[in-house]
Amino acid sequence: MFDFALPPELALLQESVRAFAMERLRPRERVHEAARAVAPEVAALHRELGVGVLELPEALGGAGLGALARAVVSEELAAGDAGAAVALDPLGPALYALSELGGEEALRRHALPLLVRTGARAVLAVDPAPRLRTEGRLVQGALPYVPADRVDLLVVLERERAYVCTGPFSVSPLRGAGLRAAGASELVIAGEARLLDEWVSTPRARRALARTRLLVAAMLVGVARASSEYARRYALERVAFGRPIAHHQALAFLLVDMASAVEAARLLLWQAAVALDADADDSADALCASAFVEAAEAALFVTPNGVQVLGGHGFMQDHPVEKWMREARTLSLLAGGVDLAREDAGRRLVGQGDAPLALAGGAV
Amino acid sequence: MELAVDAESAARLREVRALGESRMRPVGLEADRAGAPVPPDHPFFAELVARGFGRTRWSGEIAGADAEAPSGPRRSARTAVLLAEEMAYWDRGVAVAFPGPGLGEAPLLAIGTPEQRERFLAPFRAPDRPRWGSFAMTEPGAGSDVAAIRTTARRDGDAFVLSGAKSFAANASRADWIVVFATVDPTLGRDGHRAFVVERGTPGLGGFHVEHKMGLKAYESTSFTLEGCRVPVANLLGGDTREKRGAGFKGAMQSFNATRPAIAAMAVGIGRAALDAALAFAREASLLRDPRVRDRLERMERRLRAARLLCWRAAWLADEARPNQLEASMAKAVAPAVALEAATLGTDLLGEVGARGDHLLEKLFRDVKAMDIVEGTGQIQRIVMARQLLQLPRDGT
Repeated sequence: MFDFALPPELALLQESVRAFAMERLRPRERVHEAARAVAPEVAALHRELGVGVLELPEALGGAGLGALARAVVSEELAAGDAGAAVALDPLGPALYALSELGGEEALRRHALPLLVRTGARAVLAVDPAPRLRTEGRLVQGALPYVPADRVDLLVVLERERAYVCTGPFSVSPLRGAGLRAAGASELVIAGEARLLDEWVSTPRARRALARTRLLVAAMLVGVARASSEYARRYALERVAFGRPIAHHQALAFLLVDMASAVEAARLLLWQAAVALDADADDSADALCASAFVEAAEAALFVTPNGVQVLGGHGFMQDHPVEKWMREARTLSLLAGGVDLAREDAGRRLVGQGDAPLALAGGAV
Repeated sequence: MELAVDAESAARLREVRALGESRMRPVGLEADRAGAPVPPDHPFFAELVARGFGRTRWSGEIAGADAEAPSGPRRSARTAVLLAEEMAYWDRGVAVAFPGPGLGEAPLLAIGTPEQRERFLAPFRAPDRPRWGSFAMTEPGAGSDVAAIRTTARRDGDAFVLSGAKSFAANASRADWIVVFATVDPTLGRDGHRAFVVERGTPGLGGFHVEHKMGLKAYESTSFTLEGCRVPVANLLGGDTREKRGAGFKGAMQSFNATRPAIAAMAVGIGRAALDAALAFAREASLLRDPRVRDRLERMERRLRAARLLCWRAAWLADEARPNQLEASMAKAVAPAVALEAATLGTDLLGEVGARGDHLLEKLFRDVKAMDIVEGTGQIQRIVMARQLLQLPRDGT
């Protein structure tokens, strides 16, 4: 029967990641944002936690954990600082394209060397309507934004294939709207850039995209939770018209709706993660797409209202709520964007012969 | 973490589906067309009783034991949300019309004495015929503001004399008894509330008026009056002891906490019925190529699934005997709006066909609105949540 308790070992991991995120990331988020990097001593503490290689198979030195662990850990890290969460995960979602399409061999060849280079970053370009073009083994094109200041490995994920692209790339720094702690650049590929390894499989590419969406959805839930919680605490302290602003019904109702949005998004996130871990058929991919859409909608409802609850103070950079609004905006533009996810989930829905939600005992 | 339904519950859901498809949906449509509740002597009700429906979940009193003696992990709240959703999928109005002790059962279990449970619930253990219980809190002048009820209970010898008017009580005119909330002293507010079991035929109980509703026509929502209605002291829920002072109001609130996830699940069920009908219509009318239609369907599937998970979580917490007031209210605040949106989408797709008044989706559009009103409006749910999350004061408005 359904049961929402996290497995005990995952609950413990959640606790330690939450402590790290709140004690090490949150207090330094403005510093990391300005530096476009996470301080080395914080990165070292993160490595001790062992969550940087969370989903890498144990045989390759990773923790070998699954999607539910990813969902829980990434929510916690992003609730501390989403930009830092991206910066601290050198492989990022490139891991999914490599492992789903290329398997362990691809991980050995491309991921492991990256992990031993300090500060190295892999970037996954989700490229469903290709902006990067390949002619033979030549690669050309440009990506207007990647959340990194250096690109040591570029993995491109299309609908039916994934490939690794070697440099040289031109990486030009941008100011970046959000996630600045991870860096922000324009990536131009021209000249001698080569397609190095290529794998073709529509179902594996779909799964890699699903896992990417789940990762981003988890971070969106974390950012939304941070904003909702911060606004709640602020509203209990700030007094207007003789009482805490939280006790004016207009704000009380808004604040509880913000909390509900976070909870609903997290439940869909967990449902998608559980389906991925059960290695369900392509229904798991659709659940990931819809978890991403829900998380984006929740975050783009919650975080602007987080600013709203703080009023003028919310607009100033002394409080983190404006940053979370920018992070939510940036995150929800990743992984191919929300409209593509909506389209994928919608197509799966209407392609089904049966009732989509069916009996509770059936499809779910 | 487990998000699947166990085999036993799945089997029960399949049974409900069979019953829903063959009987509940047609009976509900029939009542909707007739514009009147399914009459108590409708053969469907006798059929239900013969099939084992209409019984109390009270298993009889064992000296000193809890009303629901736990054996193994509790899952009654989870089973309840699953069944509620599936019943409402087929027809929520018919589901409420089902024989049984109804909403009166929860306060009897929560604050009734063993003797009272025996007297009023025993006839529902293996009912000889369709029997109903009822529950009356709402009054013409007191809906969400439950503390404002004006029905009075005045002690007179071995009885209480009840006077007042009650509104919108489900199945009241056909019920064997009605759990009526009244105040022994209006100046005491909630502390003055008491719950009484008023039996059918008690002199002074009358003026039954079956309301005309926008939807959910299959069950009766009935208003009635109590005029010098003498109710024996033995029918005061919990007995007339000092310790039970205030138990009336608290009992009512406890029963709402227990039923909110199930009411929210009913909204999910109606929403799911709307989504399925919308999808079927869109397929037939070749609308599925339109990305706007797909996007809206996608949103409904996703939001309904989220609402369902909120219900499930609230029910799971109840089974774990953990506080779930916040989660129950969250589910109840979210689900009805989502379900209404699904019915709205469905009727949008129908176009003018939705204006004819003879399509299931049009009925669902009317039916579902009640779910944001009954057992605590969406606004009351938000107040309950705000008390938990924001320490909203009791009188805070």
